[in-house]
Amino acid sequence: MSPARKFVEDMLARRRVRRAETTEDDAADIRTAILLNSARPGGDRPDEEFVAKLGARLAAEADGKPKGNNRRRFVQTTSVAAAAAVLGATVDHLVQPSPATEEATIVPDQGQWRAVVSSAELVEGAVRPFDFGTVTGFVQRAGGDVHAVSGICTHLGCRLALDMAALRLNCPCHRTAFTVDGAVLFHQLPSTPPPLPRLQVRENAGNIEVLVPQRPV
Amino acid sequence: MAQRFRARRDAPADAEQDPPRLRVVDVDAYPDWDAIYRDNVERVYRLMYAKVGNRPDAEDLTTEVFMTALRPMRASASVGEVRAYLLATARTVLATFWRRTLGREITTLDEQRDVGLLTGDPPPEDTGATEVDRILAELPDRHRRILQLRFLEGCSIKEAAVTLGVSVSNAKVLQHRALRQATAVAERMRT
Repeated sequence: MSPARKFVEDMLARRRVRRAETTEDDAADIRTAILLNSARPGGDRPDEEFVAKLGARLAAEADGKPKGNNRRRFVQTTSVAAAAAVLGATVDHLVQPSPATEEATIVPDQGQWRAVVSSAELVEGAVRPFDFGTVTGFVQRAGGDVHAVSGICTHLGCRLALDMAALRLNCPCHRTAFTVDGAVLFHQLPSTPPPLPRLQVRENAGNIEVLVPQRPV
Repeated sequence: MAQRFRARRDAPADAEQDPPRLRVVDVDAYPDWDAIYRDNVERVYRLMYAKVGNRPDAEDLTTEVFMTALRPMRASASVGEVRAYLLATARTVLATFWRRTLGREITTLDEQRDVGLLTGDPPPEDTGATEVDRILAELPDRHRRILQLRFLEGCSIKEAAVTLGVSVSNAKVLQHRALRQATAVAERMRT
């Protein structure tokens, strides 16, 4: 039996997915089967016992850690104006003005293309940090396209750390995190910080290249 | 602290007397973890079920999303932040699941496309159903019928065979061909 047929029989018998090697054709059939299955009336209602058990387990986990709220209050008093000033001072003339909710693209007026990694090494889903002194950031390939974002938190300018397992960029300063494509994942700030600015990126001569300013800013 | 917020929300009259400047969290914030869980567990489960198609895996993945999200997320985040974070967590959990089981990402979660599945209130209208209707409408009668019997009505292969008046092995072949054809229709409709 093909992996797709096995999957369908398991799914219709309400069994778990079993490990298998699949082809793109298998994957397409499996996708259709899941779609058809999702149209079944009432099939997606969670089991009450499961909901209760998981709730109890989470409550037990949550109780096991300190509930420090003082620090959060302190963080919330941090001035938005200060954040804006720092951001302005560092990337002011590089960032095209835009509303805080949209990501800006950093386009240096005197820039040069610098290679970050070879195209072949940046496989689908991979993320690579880079640091050229004038600018630091991360390149990633998602859905076949390559993107680059700044690696500096838009709140107070701390350098972000890549957490590859969770596919996110963590700020070490104020528990803020961004997705690897620059969107704010979560934060504890009085207002949502802007998404990470994007950097211009291209594939050239087998390399992923980012457009960076020549002089430190 | 969480208790105080909850009490305040439950008693709107009191809340109105509170000077606004004392409010540390948005109105659209969850008072505590329990509230986050109760409001989102069904949403996350339905999302996962729609993406994997079976209950045991959907339960495992839902568990993983909440266990992963518990630590990094502060309880009093706004509803929007919580949902965005749960969705982002669900995306990586699902991707890891498919890579581990079938070696390729069979279904994916996209923050932009699927955010409606989490925020839909009451629970999301079934966009899956309408797509399925359109696919089934394109199939020959017997192909459509076997897929309806097996996937939508929960019939066993034997019951489906009896209903269609064919042998069990014929029903299996019919189901396989019908699914292949439905895939072709679905792919044509997406392009």
